[in-house]
Amino acid sequence: MLPIIIAVLSGAIRSGTAVLFACLGEIIAERAGVVNLGTEGCMLIGALGAFAATAMTGNPFLGAFVGGLCGASLAAVHAYVAVIRRGNQLASGLAITILGLGVTSFFGRSFVATQINGMNSISIAGLSDLPILGPILFQHDALTYLAAFLAPGIWFVLYRTRWGLMLRATGERQDVVYSVGLSPTLIRCLAVICGGFLAGLGGAQLSVAYTLNWVENMTQGRGYVAVALVIFSSWSPLTAVAGSYLFGGALSLQLALQARGVGASPFLMSAIPYLVTLAVLVLVGRRRRQAMPDELRAVFERGG
Amino acid sequence: MSNIATFLRGSHPRLRTSLRPALITTLSAVIVPLCLFSVFLMMAGVAPLDAFRAMLQSSLGSSYGIGEVLVRAAPFALTALATAIPARAGLLNVGAEGQLVVGALGAAAASALLKDIGIVGLPVLILAGIIGGAAWAGLAAVLRTKLQLNETISTLLLNYVAYLLVAHILQGPLRDPASFNWPFSPPIPDGMRFPVLFDSRVHLGLLIAPVAAIIFALALWRTYWGLNLRVTGGNPQAARRAGIDVAKTYLTVMLIAGAMAGLAGVLQVVGVEGRLRPSTGVGFGYSGFLAAWMVSHHPLWLLGSSLLLAAIVVSGDALQITSGLPSSTVGILTALVLLGVLARGHSQGVRL
Repeated sequence: MLPIIIAVLSGAIRSGTAVLFACLGEIIAERAGVVNLGTEGCMLIGALGAFAATAMTGNPFLGAFVGGLCGASLAAVHAYVAVIRRGNQLASGLAITILGLGVTSFFGRSFVATQINGMNSISIAGLSDLPILGPILFQHDALTYLAAFLAPGIWFVLYRTRWGLMLRATGERQDVVYSVGLSPTLIRCLAVICGGFLAGLGGAQLSVAYTLNWVENMTQGRGYVAVALVIFSSWSPLTAVAGSYLFGGALSLQLALQARGVGASPFLMSAIPYLVTLAVLVLVGRRRRQAMPDELRAVFERGG
Repeated sequence: MSNIATFLRGSHPRLRTSLRPALITTLSAVIVPLCLFSVFLMMAGVAPLDAFRAMLQSSLGSSYGIGEVLVRAAPFALTALATAIPARAGLLNVGAEGQLVVGALGAAAASALLKDIGIVGLPVLILAGIIGGAAWAGLAAVLRTKLQLNETISTLLLNYVAYLLVAHILQGPLRDPASFNWPFSPPIPDGMRFPVLFDSRVHLGLLIAPVAAIIFALALWRTYWGLNLRVTGGNPQAARRAGIDVAKTYLTVMLIAGAMAGLAGVLQVVGVEGRLRPSTGVGFGYSGFLAAWMVSHHPLWLLGSSLLLAAIVVSGDALQITSGLPSSTVGILTALVLLGVLARGHSQGVRL
């Protein structure tokens, strides 16, 4: 029984990482007052960009960086339409996702059967030999460690630096930002592009560290899950870790159960992670929404 | 106050800014995406002008092509209504995709239960589709009104659950024993399907889409219900103070939206395909979403934008055959067109 539990928990972290990257990126964007439903598209294009760059150069780290850039450039389109041109944020985000889906199926065809040498898992000397905890926490790929470190890092920037203060002020009350002589529009654009970079990294983790292949539409709604988990995490990077690993846990648990032939149908089992996401939102959502940045209310809550 | 001002500005055309800049921005919203799409085509080694000519010919150049466009446009218009109706009340339903497949599932399941009872079975299938779609949308509506879960997020996630639910049922209880292990539902008896015109795929069910659009237009602008809906969409707080039951309005518009998407599923299963497959209607919900947003949720204009999108999608299939590009390539074009329209910048709200 114990090896199974260890495998599930370790899988939870590995499969939750892609969502964690996207979720952290979305927190940055939403803290500045912009919702990006295009996170799904950014992840997808990041996954393909990283996979393609890894296949061409053989370097998965360079690949991940390219994936991030791909996500950032798609997010830049969203920044232009939704922030600079003030088009509807939610519609623009979805259009971005549809664009990402089209672009990746256009360029992705030639990579469908390609094989790559992805990221190896890195064992941390001393720690990875620990019983139980070692295999769960300390035998992962570099991007998984990066995501885990990024969460407190982003928390620090948001809450302990002037940059973070201005970013949060943009999301709470943009007049304040004007009054100190900064441009909320510029801050929002940068936040959205940063968020897209992280979503791209998340996609990269999926393709070059986790599955090691490219499949059309391989993110399967993980970007939307990330946007949902931002609400669960009350816009805090630290709680986002818990939310993402919880989603990862649901993913890896249902895979483990399927592999052992438990459960009525593989399709119904695959629906569990989405249902878990909806369920946690319902359970905590009402309380947590008080943390919502004020400028977002116009987008999300139209009074309801 | 500002809401009243926008309300007035939106509903009185003569108060709007002059037509010329609007024309220019609208044209650029079409031309810029076409140019960008040409770049993609050139990257794939396809001459853009040849591709555009092939696309035009395949969609509008023959009676067969026009028929195919109509067959596509009707479900697009219904999923566009599924987006536009809640949008008018201030809700963003992105779940037409899932509501469509559950509606299609309802129709296919009803057909399997009824056996062949002839044309009287057709209304039952339609009703089953409506109930399926409305139930799936109702789920999101209840989550929104009772548990304050944002409908955009719930409908997006429920889409994936809907695909998986249909995949499961097609593998199990609803699989046609004669389909050699393919996950298809049993074929719907010919007597229970929509009557077909001129020996093509054009069928009478397609008329449902324009009829529904006209009914919605009349309800929106000529009834008290429509006024309630527009007021709720403009400012829910004001609506609440005016005594409108906002939660009930939200529930009704979502149920109607689900019914529309369910009808789109019925058109596919009962009209075009004759059975339910895992691929039935996939992507139709997002196409309808694009169609509705292109015309700011105008109930009648969305018929036009649905025709345009249908023409693009049909010509995309032709592009696949003549140029070897994946048919999803035209998704790039449709997304770019929508981004172009959104970039005209109509603030965050929905125009009344």
